[in-house]
Amino acid sequence: MWGYVRDIWQGAKSIVVGHIVTFRNFWRPKITDRYPHGNADENWQPGPGYRGGFALLKSDKEGRELRCTACMSCARACPVGCIHIEGEGKGKERHPVSFYIDMGLCVYCHQCVEACPSEALTMTDEYEISGTSRASLVRDLAQLIAAGEGQTEVSRVL
Amino acid sequence: MSETAQAPLRTEDITVNVGPQHPSTHGVLRFVVTLEGETIRECVPHIGYLHSSLEKIAETLRFGQYITNTDRFDYLNGLGNELCYVQAVERLLGVEPPPRTQFIRTLMAELKRISSHLVYLGTYGNDTGAVTVFLHAFRERELLMNMFEAVTGGRLLYNYLRIGGLRNDLPTGFDEQVCSFLEHFPPRLEEMNDLLTKNRIFIARTRGVGLLTAEQALSYGVTGPTLRGCGVSYDMRKLRPYAAYDQVEFDVPTFPEGDCLARHLVRMEEMRQSLRIVRQLLDKMPDGEVQADVPRRLKPEPGEVYERVESPRGELGCYLVSDGSDKPYRMHWRGPSFYNLQALPEMVRGGLVADFIATLGSLDPVAPDIDR
Amino acid sequence: MASSLVHTILSTIRIWAENLAGRWGIPPLFVSILAWIAAFVFVIVLVLLMVLLAVYLERKVSGYIQSRLGPMRVGPIGLFQTPMDALKILSKEDIVPRGADKIMHTIGPVFFFVAVVIGYVVIPWDHGAIAARVVDLNIGILLIVAVSSLGLLGIMVGGWGSNNKWSLLGAMRAVAQMISYEVALLLAIVCVVVQAGSMSLSVITADQSGTLLEWNILRWWLWPALLLYAIASIAESKRVPFDIPEAESELVAGYHTEYSGMKFGFFFLGEYAHLFIIALIGAVLFLGGWQSPLPASVADPIPGFVWLMGKALAIIVVTMWIRWTLPRLRVDQLMEFAWKGLVPLGFVAIMVTGLAVALGLGGGGM
Repeated sequence: MWGYVRDIWQGAKSIVVGHIVTFRNFWRPKITDRYPHGNADENWQPGPGYRGGFALLKSDKEGRELRCTACMSCARACPVGCIHIEGEGKGKERHPVSFYIDMGLCVYCHQCVEACPSEALTMTDEYEISGTSRASLVRDLAQLIAAGEGQTEVSRVL
Repeated sequence: MSETAQAPLRTEDITVNVGPQHPSTHGVLRFVVTLEGETIRECVPHIGYLHSSLEKIAETLRFGQYITNTDRFDYLNGLGNELCYVQAVERLLGVEPPPRTQFIRTLMAELKRISSHLVYLGTYGNDTGAVTVFLHAFRERELLMNMFEAVTGGRLLYNYLRIGGLRNDLPTGFDEQVCSFLEHFPPRLEEMNDLLTKNRIFIARTRGVGLLTAEQALSYGVTGPTLRGCGVSYDMRKLRPYAAYDQVEFDVPTFPEGDCLARHLVRMEEMRQSLRIVRQLLDKMPDGEVQADVPRRLKPEPGEVYERVESPRGELGCYLVSDGSDKPYRMHWRGPSFYNLQALPEMVRGGLVADFIATLGSLDPVAPDIDR
Repeated sequence: MASSLVHTILSTIRIWAENLAGRWGIPPLFVSILAWIAAFVFVIVLVLLMVLLAVYLERKVSGYIQSRLGPMRVGPIGLFQTPMDALKILSKEDIVPRGADKIMHTIGPVFFFVAVVIGYVVIPWDHGAIAARVVDLNIGILLIVAVSSLGLLGIMVGGWGSNNKWSLLGAMRAVAQMISYEVALLLAIVCVVVQAGSMSLSVITADQSGTLLEWNILRWWLWPALLLYAIASIAESKRVPFDIPEAESELVAGYHTEYSGMKFGFFFLGEYAHLFIIALIGAVLFLGGWQSPLPASVADPIPGFVWLMGKALAIIVVTMWIRWTLPRLRVDQLMEFAWKGLVPLGFVAIMVTGLAVALGLGGGGM
């Protein structure tokens, strides 16, 4: 009999405690970011090593020539084969004439950046990379160069 | 009295499909359940809906390239899966990663364990009808996700571990981030326990439900919190310490009841133990390199290796066969969810429909981990 | 007093309408039928408005409890979200599953909704004869209980007619649950009826007139009945922790799994209308109905029906708080709780109330 009463008492107590918890949470500050409205833009920044879009870097700040030598290291390192490069020239003169990255296939693994011997390819913290068609997800050479404008360092790599 | 009046009421079993589209199948699972009224007569799991051929894909990728796929089958334990795979390859190659790497790997695996158990806590609350705890758990998990993003650059798919090392060292300020989490999280965990674990209704729903004896569990190959909830202290981190687990102190919680509540309590206690491990790892963290010297082209000697780690769901195994080329000849994953699920028909037979959902949730299955 | 102003206006309109009818030679019976229809339309519009408000509140309360903001995008602080959703539901395709009993599938939700709405006709919104209620039955509370259990038939018919096993399971659970908790609910109501000496809701309200201390919630001998009513009414409105008929994680959506479009809308509306009527009855039985909590010496500018609505909304918010806190019971535990817990408690409650009334504590007009 005593156990029965105690069971009811403890059950009631646990239920009341639960309600106190939810009541406390009712008044806590809310964590919702109203992206893209509100102050979400100022609050949220991707982490330092964020892997978003791609960019091709230039050899100096003035932006005269590309670092990329079309050596195909990145294309070979890619587990899904989403990088397509065509190069021209020999030795020091070699440079890409077409450079496609299919973001629809990309798994954002960063291995291409790590494979690059001349630190030419990098991932940026661009995070709005969705598109309305598959074709719009393919980045070409001009887009990749434009994305790397003004950037000199590759994203975090050992 | 006529014959018919005396004859017992004729009833018919009904067969229902729980899944592949059902609110509480944790992904795409299907169970064909035979019911007599509300009582479960038989339950047959049908798997394979999320089969993604990860083992075959491994044969087409070089050892280093495959790491990116390991995040994808047990998506709640990405870093733990990477750890398992990377250790297997390192054993094939005979590479020993530097101590700092081992500590960071352990740290990330433990944080990932907390994050995975938080998902379990939330979804289990959802399964038993307490929706609020789901969002509270995800609110805390978000802090962990921010940490993973700061370290690895990804929130769910990390691709952080490398053969013989890591992609990068911990960023500056990471220690403070973890410390503030260690301060912030325990009271919130207690709060969630107040809300769900200690609730009388929740206890009524889970105590004595989905019973599994230790013998049954062992015969089905059940591991992880499900086995520890049957009173068997079986934990890879203790039995065969890998990475830096031999450097830290922690307990392996076990509860002998073998019901849903025991499994739930094991996970709650594991979160506290994980916090303890994280604290010790931060204190003892050595300096130094995070990448061992490995050749650019990895060509291990022909041979085979089986590596096991403790994932939040149980023993995660990775079997690798090398034929001397730069790609695995064969690879196999021992997904813990797959083995745990085998015991489900035993556990739910004779229970009610609601018990079925509670038992399934208490196994914490991840559907791609079952199908791989 | 402002509430009397409202009455003056309403009675003026009524007299004007009656005069007009007299001039046009419309028989008075017809006029009173028209007045009834008008009152019923008023009730339905009111119900719909309250449902919209309740759904909005539910979203906001759940959001705040869960560290979210709730609807924020449509209109200021998301106020137009529920009307927009109602419009969306109206425009959706109505699907009848293959093999379903088409007639039953259609009748179910309508039956459920109508049964719930009928209960509103006897709620005393305000004092005075006009606009106070559609009808003042001397067995008002009995009508509500009787009619709302008719709604069960709608659920059963809908669940059966859907040709879906989940729906059938949900409907069976709903019937079992609601029949059991109806008993407990009735026992709680009986206590208040004993106290007031009448089954008329306006008499029950009048019994609590005077100061705040006269409200049934502050009469200690009615506290067992209050507890009983609180639990049984939540179970009656099929909300967590008693939401097993639609138990989302078990039965997909229970008896309305196969419903879409406006048929689903009827179930949804009916559920919230049911919640609202449960709250209204709770306010009438225990919180003094339309009466103001302010002392009589203070002039009360707020009309009675606003007080009643406010009390009902407060009860609704509490049920939402409960809903977003507790896990769900299992079906056998639910039945056990009803028959082994609440029904005995109901007899105790009746005994306590009866003794108190017999000893002259309670008003009691028996």
